[in-house]
Formats: sequence, structure tokens, C-alpha cells
Amino acid sequence: MDGQEKNNGAGAVNREPEFSSVSLLEKVRRQGKVWGDLAKKYGVENPDPPWKINLDSTCEALSAEQCALPVLERRNEEDELSESLYQDVPYPERQLLALAHSMIERGLIDEDELALRMKYVSKRLNSA
Amino acid sequence: MADKHKPAPMVDEVSDFEVLEVAVRELAIEKGLFSAEDHRRFAEFAHSIGPLPAARLVAKSWLDPEFKKLALEDGFTASKEVGIDWLNPTGFGTPSDYCDLRVLENTPSVHHVVVCTLCSCYPRPILGHSPEWYRTPNYRRRLVRWPRQVLSEFGLQIPSDVEVRVEDSNQKCRFMVMPMRPEGTEDWSEDQLAEIVTRDCMLGVALPHPDRKADDKRPVHKAANPVHGH
Repeated sequence: MDGQEKNNGAGAVNREPEFSSVSLLEKVRRQGKVWGDLAKKYGVENPDPPWKINLDSTCEALSAEQCALPVLERRNEEDELSESLYQDVPYPERQLLALAHSMIERGLIDEDELALRMKYVSKRLNSA
Repeated sequence: MADKHKPAPMVDEVSDFEVLEVAVRELAIEKGLFSAEDHRRFAEFAHSIGPLPAARLVAKSWLDPEFKKLALEDGFTASKEVGIDWLNPTGFGTPSDYCDLRVLENTPSVHHVVVCTLCSCYPRPILGHSPEWYRTPNYRRRLVRWPRQVLSEFGLQIPSDVEVRVEDSNQKCRFMVMPMRPEGTEDWSEDQLAEIVTRDCMLGVALPHPDRKADDKRPVHKAANPVHGH
């Protein structure tokens, strides 16, 4: 997470982490169907996917009392990742990818265990 | 009649993003980063917030000079009168919102507009969720440099003899704008006034108008010069 300091152009000085791609998240970026496309396909008008509130709540809960991931750090990294690795991903999918990326970078979750859990969750959500 | 009971369309497909969201949340709970109960309460809080308390604060201020004085001097205390306690908006602590609400009064010579150049700080307990554009680096970078240009992109032209002040939110302070009461609203009740104080008016990218409410049907204007055949 070492990086150079830079002025963000708005007067504040940020640290600029040098993010490297995470193969699991790369796969989701490449293969995942974004809400805009799914909504169009099914004729749904909701601007946000149903999981958006859960994502926001996860971000909030992570910055609450125990503060595993401070909100300012997460938002800075989301901005940087949104302009680099995930620049072609729409919002809020890029917010989700950035959150997972930040958590993996910090060792809060492990890439392999996340991959395994995604497998289980997918099986569960797709079961009849 | 049959059509009225037709179920609304739904997305009947699980995307990798949906799976990722659930997986991240479950792992975080299992590792004790937060509890399932905490998460549920945040989600309930997120569903319940909107801009109405702030609109009520502005409407009350327009009608009651004493309350207006309080709102401008002590936004925290004034918020309590519209049902918002900044010390405990969710009922279980303040994770990312802070207790110093400053209400910025627009006057005939000063127009305020709010931004967060650092990230996307926003007075959520009283104004609800921030709009997508508020989070964009584009808005955040350009508003502080060229506020009139950015405001004009929102359809708001500020006369050159009116000073534009950009207020930058930060970790300690949250801001909202108290717009000027528009003409044509004399004798209006607090409820009527609150209806025309929309979210954008309280961010400073729009002005209230007696004919425009937050829940109005969206106007559709035909193009003046339509492309041939359309």
C-alpha cells in the first residue's frame, strides 16, 4: 500500500496507493452482468440493484465502532480504483469491486476464501 | 382489471456482483468485523432516510424568524425540532456522519453551493442519500474552480452581481443550503412550503419555485429541432 503523495487537484493531498489487480475481482469485472444490462433485459426500472442497500450498509458497518475500514480511506481508494482498474465498470458495481479490493489489500478477507464463499453463495442463490 | 394485478417485472437472474456482495458481507460478519444485527440496523436506517427533514427545517425557518436564527446559529439543535438527532441518527451511534451541521443562508447577494472535494461527505441524516453526481470526481473538482459553469450545467444561471460561495464538506462539518423563499408563496403553510424545497435546492444547484415540487410528474418537452423522422 506504499505510494506517492499527490495533490488531488482540489487542494487536498492524498496518498496514492499502487493497486495491482486481483484475479478473482478481475474475473467478476469481466464476466459479471451489471445491473443496467439486467434491468434492461428484464424490463425493470429500478435505478439501483437490490443489493445496493446491503453494500452501503456493509461500508457503514465496517467504519463503525471497531472501524476495520475507515470511510475516508475506503472512499479515496474507491476513487482511485474507479479511475484505474475499474474505470469501465458502472456504479455501484465499481463501488462493490473497490470495497472487496480494499478489504483484500488489508487482509480483512482473503482472496481464496472469498472465491470459495462466492461459489457457495452462488449455489445457494441459484438453488430452486 | 387483469393488467392491474400483473406482477411488476423482476430480474430473475443472479449476477456475479450480487454473489460478491453477499460473500463479502458474510465473511465480514463471520470474522467479527461487524455483527449481522449491526448490518440490519444500518440497512433499515438507510431505507428510512430522505430529504424531508431538511425541507421541513427550511420551511419552518421561512415562517418563524426565531427558528431561522436558531437554524443558522446551531443546526444541530434546530435539527432536533424536525426529528433529527445528529448524536444518534441511526439510534445506535454515528459511524460516518458528524454532529456539526451548518445551515448556509442564501441572500439576494450570496448564493451557496455544497461539495465534498475530498470524498462524498453529505448530511445524510437530514438530507438522505447523496445523488450519484455528487460523488463524481468531475463535480468535486470542477465546482471549486468554475462554480458558475457547473451550476449552469444544472440549468441554474446565477447573475454576475451575486457572489457564489462553494462550501467544502469535511470530516467534521456537514452543510446544507437554506434557499430564499420564492415569491408567490405568501400565506403558504409550512407543509406547502416544505413541498417545494427539493434536495437540489438544499445543495445549491437549484432554486425553489412555487410551481415545482419534489414529487411532480417529470415534464417532457419536445425537441425544438427534432432530427428528421423522429
